[in-house]
Amino acid sequence: MIDRSYKELLKLGRFPHTWCPGCGIGAVLKNVAMAMKELGWNNQNTSVVSGIGCSGRMAGYMNLDAVHTPHGRALTAAEAIKTVRPDLNVVVLSGDGDLGAIGGNHLLHTSRRNPDITVFCNDNEIYGLTGGQAGPTTPKGTKTVTSPRGEHYQPLRLNRILTTQAPYFYARTTVYHLNHFKTCIREALLWKGFSFVDIISDCIELNGRRLGFKTAHQMFKWFEERFHIAEGVRDHLKDDELGIAKKEVEAEVKVEVEVEQIPEVQIEGLKLFALEELKQFDGTEGRPIYIGYKGKVYDISASPLFQGEKRMRCHIAGKDLTRDIEIAPHGEELLFKFPVVGRLKE
Amino acid sequence: MKPRLNVIWNENYCKRCILCVEVCPESVLSLERDEIVEKPGCIRCYQCERYCPDVAIEVMDG
Repeated sequence: MIDRSYKELLKLGRFPHTWCPGCGIGAVLKNVAMAMKELGWNNQNTSVVSGIGCSGRMAGYMNLDAVHTPHGRALTAAEAIKTVRPDLNVVVLSGDGDLGAIGGNHLLHTSRRNPDITVFCNDNEIYGLTGGQAGPTTPKGTKTVTSPRGEHYQPLRLNRILTTQAPYFYARTTVYHLNHFKTCIREALLWKGFSFVDIISDCIELNGRRLGFKTAHQMFKWFEERFHIAEGVRDHLKDDELGIAKKEVEAEVKVEVEVEQIPEVQIEGLKLFALEELKQFDGTEGRPIYIGYKGKVYDISASPLFQGEKRMRCHIAGKDLTRDIEIAPHGEELLFKFPVVGRLKE
Repeated sequence: MKPRLNVIWNENYCKRCILCVEVCPESVLSLERDEIVEKPGCIRCYQCERYCPDVAIEVMDG
């Protein structure tokens, strides 16, 4: 028994959709709609944003507020919507070429700012819409239109990029591992913060046939050989693992600073200094260094920092330095180490 | 219109990717003359409906 109420979220009047037979984007669309329906997300509280590419059509087939953005700018538009309307659930439906290649910069910085949006990346490891060129996530050695002898370069490892800095949520799944796929979608939608689901999908017409697969199901079996499900929640995923890598922000450890008791000094009976008298004690000609602070006179001759030229950085010896504490990088506790030798005349 | 046994097939939505045919564990579905045809023996595992990317197949409930 399957709950078929998710069909309310799809524009069935526009079906059959535009993608090739066997394309994984249809499965992504359907399962995202199912998860949204289960969570009670509807056209009142949800908006979807999509980029450019085959997967950019996904937002158009959903019965929700949808934005079709310029190439690579799906995340920026989504973050803007979330900033203006924090009550909306914002979902980005896009592909690996849009998010990883031209929108790579936005992916880095949106994940850094950690807005509460969910990104579903339909990762078919190819530029599907333009005819099957090698994309950012094409595995090394794959034959494509632009790399007939096999792709030269290492693919962009989204799992490494997006799991460097906590908090993060990164899940990798395929359209074949359907239960795992649904779990990942659901957890990503529920995650507070930036969540990214990397859905390994099939592009049978433009990638699969060149690799020697005849039907979408043969590609699914290939996914099953290449990937295995990692049990439990990990901090990081290896390149051949499917699973969820998530980490909440570490709670900052508060170090309690013990406030030292200010030593009570008997200042009654000590010598009374006028400001003119104090000026003489500037360290020259063998005299000690005195400074005034809040009515007291301190002997700071022992300070290694007060040396030469009658001054230490910006403090001048033989003066009332009560006002200097406001601009000093240190507190007054530095001064309490030194002996009090007298009182300052008002 | 042929009588359907357990699987309702939407001819307009279907793109004949034959994913349903290949995921069926009992091999009761097949593509014959550009139509998905069902043989008797469906165990109602819903795999074809779950995997269909085009929302073109429904398995009749009980």
